[in-house]
Amino acid sequence: MTDTQWRVFEVFHQQARGEPHVHVGSIHASDPEMALLLAKEQYARRQACVNLWVVPAEAITATDYQDSDIFERQTDKAYRESWGYKTPRTVQRPDGERPGP
Amino acid sequence: MKSFETLDALDDTTRAAVVDLLLRMADDALIIGHRDSQWTGLAPILEEDIAFSSMAQDEMGHAHVYYQMLEQLGQGDPDTLVFVRSVRQWRCAALTYVPNGDDWALSLVRKFLYDTADAVRLGALILGTLKPLSSVAVKLRTEKKYHLMHDRAWMVRLGRATPESAARMQRAVDFIYPYARGLFEPTEADAALERAGICPSERQLEREWASAIAPVLSESGLHVHENVTPVYGARLGRHGQDLKALLDDLQKVHRLDPAAKW
Repeated sequence: MTDTQWRVFEVFHQQARGEPHVHVGSIHASDPEMALLLAKEQYARRQACVNLWVVPAEAITATDYQDSDIFERQTDKAYRESWGYKTPRTVQRPDGERPGP
Repeated sequence: MKSFETLDALDDTTRAAVVDLLLRMADDALIIGHRDSQWTGLAPILEEDIAFSSMAQDEMGHAHVYYQMLEQLGQGDPDTLVFVRSVRQWRCAALTYVPNGDDWALSLVRKFLYDTADAVRLGALILGTLKPLSSVAVKLRTEKKYHLMHDRAWMVRLGRATPESAARMQRAVDFIYPYARGLFEPTEADAALERAGICPSERQLEREWASAIAPVLSESGLHVHENVTPVYGARLGRHGQDLKALLDDLQKVHRLDPAAKW
């Protein structure tokens, strides 16, 4: 059956400046501007939001689940794990300002 | 010009004019919110259904703020104002209660014309002398900004998509435009509001509104006929059957048991 729906856009939501954009779902829309406008009501009407991204789903290149074994580690590489280190949750902004603690 | 820091600072004449203004604004917002909410589950696509319903809730929220101010002005509590008033006591423009029909284009065009008018009025109130109303207008205008972005996006797309969509949009504009002009029906409150610097005259607001809608209509390939007769009377409480039927629906549950505690 032909898909009569509009294009799918993936929606990314940012809760505060400096926080990462988090994937929250997808949306059908005719074009990117419409996708942003509709995403605002679908995904940002309950929780705090300062910024939204929409990305055409077809722009995303993904691995195949059949290949998910490539992520498995077969030997002990615990030395790679970063527990014990402090990792910043926020992202450094281009202007050098680091928002919030 | 002297400003009014609180609602209590108003003299009797100005106070009566503010009550009239707030009733018009509150009733417009509630009734268009009610009409738009009737698209819930029926709007053209799921995403728009949710967006349209959410904006209908925005309108009800705005109405609630104005009804609370009316309560402070001694007009009764919001529930009484909404559930007990008879048809003649309502001050919403006829634009807001024209039935939806079966073409969403009508509701979209109505919403665009109303939202633009509302934004123009809120902008004027922000600059006005009644401080409690200015600060409310600052808050509510931010929600209106999204409504305007949303409305414009759809107007432009549907106005230009296909011959059928363009024809349906133009038909909606032709039908609803005289009602939209009725948003600016002059009332006896005009002079007092203008004199006190609270709100410019309806004539002045209508001119600003006309310049605000023109670029969007033109971008959408749509046009209005300037020499129509505006639909007046509703601001004075002269309403037809459409509002009566809407209120029968809206007030039905309350009438079953007016003393019930919720």
